[in-house]
Amino acid sequence: MILQESISTAVDAIRANLMRSLLTTIAIVIGTASVIAMVGIGSSAQRAIDDSITNLSARTLTVYPSRGRGSQTVNASPLVIKDADALIKDQEIKWRITPEIRGSKTLKFGNESISISVIGVRENYLSIQGYEVEEGLFLTERDDLARKRIAIIGSSVGTELKTSSKALIGKDIDLGGVTFKVIGMMKSEGSSGWSNPDEQIYIPLLTAADRLFGRQIVDSIRVEVPNTYSPEEAMISIERVLRREHDIGPGEENNFRINDWSQFTDLQKQATAIFSALIIGIAGISLLVGGIGVMNIMLVSVTERTREIGLRKALGATHQAILLQFLIEAVTLCIIGGVLGVVLGSGIYLLISIWQDWVFTIPFSAIFGSVTFSACVGLFFGIWPARKAARLEPAVALRYE
Amino acid sequence: MSIIAVEGVTKHYALGTQTVEALRGITFEIQKGEFIAIMGPSGSGKSTLMNIIGCLDSPTHGTYFLNNQEVSTLEGDELAGIRNKEIGFVFQNFHLLARNTALDNVMLPLKYAGVEKAEQLARAKAALSQVGLEDRMDHQPSELSGGQQQRVAIARALVNNPSILFADEPTGNLDSQTGHDVMQLFHNLHAAGQTIILITHENEVAEEAQRTIFIKDGLIESDSTKEVA
Ligand SMILES: Nc1ncnc2c1ncn2[C@@H]1O[C@H](COP(=O)(O)OP(=O)(O)OP(=O)(O)O)[C@@H](O)[C@H]1O
Ligand SMILES: [Mg+2]
Repeated sequence: MILQESISTAVDAIRANLMRSLLTTIAIVIGTASVIAMVGIGSSAQRAIDDSITNLSARTLTVYPSRGRGSQTVNASPLVIKDADALIKDQEIKWRITPEIRGSKTLKFGNESISISVIGVRENYLSIQGYEVEEGLFLTERDDLARKRIAIIGSSVGTELKTSSKALIGKDIDLGGVTFKVIGMMKSEGSSGWSNPDEQIYIPLLTAADRLFGRQIVDSIRVEVPNTYSPEEAMISIERVLRREHDIGPGEENNFRINDWSQFTDLQKQATAIFSALIIGIAGISLLVGGIGVMNIMLVSVTERTREIGLRKALGATHQAILLQFLIEAVTLCIIGGVLGVVLGSGIYLLISIWQDWVFTIPFSAIFGSVTFSACVGLFFGIWPARKAARLEPAVALRYE
Repeated sequence: MSIIAVEGVTKHYALGTQTVEALRGITFEIQKGEFIAIMGPSGSGKSTLMNIIGCLDSPTHGTYFLNNQEVSTLEGDELAGIRNKEIGFVFQNFHLLARNTALDNVMLPLKYAGVEKAEQLARAKAALSQVGLEDRMDHQPSELSGGQQQRVAIARALVNNPSILFADEPTGNLDSQTGHDVMQLFHNLHAAGQTIILITHENEVAEEAQRTIFIKDGLIESDSTKEVA
């Protein structure tokens, strides 16, 4: 009975000062909105990362030569095509391998001439990297073995040559003095930070080794491990093969290093964790500020309504009834802020998920949790003003001007 | 059997280092069904006395029995319970809740008494009819005249069937015609057996009561009962 009366009184009081009440809740709104948006974005981003990992269906490791140390000359023991062949031959793990030979060459077409990054790869490079051909063909094993002078260009190479990549297909180009025929173009992948696959040109590995760069030394070897093996197992196998190839005795150090891409996902997870911590911090501060704001407005409200409190007491309101009335008002204010925050946060998350093409899911627990937490903020910060109201002496309060 | 028995009641207010002796020893009794006016110059202690016998405040010294129960030693929620059941207040400036209808205002004491909703409604409607406002139940105070507002306040004071009805300057904010109407209402209530204590400045108003207690400087100066004609 008292509770019901208190709720309707609280709603009335909030309605009477609607603008003031809404302004008071802004910090609470921001706090809950950031929590909701963050939880949504976080779970969607995580799902997107998980999807992309499972989409690759396998994990790619990359083997690099060790950099020479101290007095040793650079690339004292380089990786060569033979190392890759040894890895291909070793089928303890059903991995797939492509070495990469990279270099910069001058690309000429018509009157245009640009410097371009060239990579020599095997036919399975495409599936290992998860890249796709936009138009034309990618190189085949036969092309590689025949050391054919063919090239597949990145999607923006054409533009740099003042034409379009599509228009280049079937045309002859001059790469470092050797004539190549363009047989296909790649789908745009976007820059990956340190290199931009769209601005590269791909040629068969053996063509690169024998006809363009004139070396058997490769820059790296990519190893795609089926996901039935852990990267650790794969690394041990790679080490076993390469140590044998490089004649490394027991106790000696590797002269190559293996880069596990999972480190990047770990890094990404770490970054996400830091980002979430930051947002939770902001949310925490907003809720604290919001709580203090609510306390402030409740103190004002108690002062403004001193005579009303006096009257209610004169009519028989107990200490508890007045306490409850003002506590419920503070909690209601915070719940309104929390609900508005959930709406705002979901809106922000919805927009981002549409933009990023994510699945929109907010766990019910996040909504329930943040509204409940807002209510607790109201309860906590409402106690002092409510006690102040409940402790007023009726005779004094009635006299208050 | 007296409904109110006050003996040697004093009330001191501490104001910094000074003590204000608002009441300096008041003793009187009131019987059930009496209609009493308390008079006195401004600052004499009338409102202070009403606060004490209305259970809004406790005396500094002295004893107070209401319906043979000692209430001078009670405090807080115990007094709130007595105010709710035994006492009805009417104030000079009405003290209605501005955003509530007349009906809601009258229901308020019943809500604090924990009365059932249906009974609240029935009793509040009955009280409003008693003061002639059955057609104004859904009006808010701002939509009512001063006299109507005071009648809502009287209905609210009556709704719990209190032993005593207190009115502190009930006509102070009303013009003389509406003031008369309100006084007429008090007469009717008195005729129906209601004990009424009225605080007033105006001789005219005091004339209407059976008995007048005159207070000066916190003491009773005179206590006179009119001979019923
Ligand atoms: N809360 C208080 N603190 C200090 N002094 C008070 C308090 N309440 C009343 N007084 C003092 O007690 C005395 C009696 O006040 P009271 O309000 O009872 O007078 P009153 O007879 O009702 O006057 P009026 O006719 O003007 O309403 C006054 O001197 C007043 O200043
Ligand atoms: Mg007074």
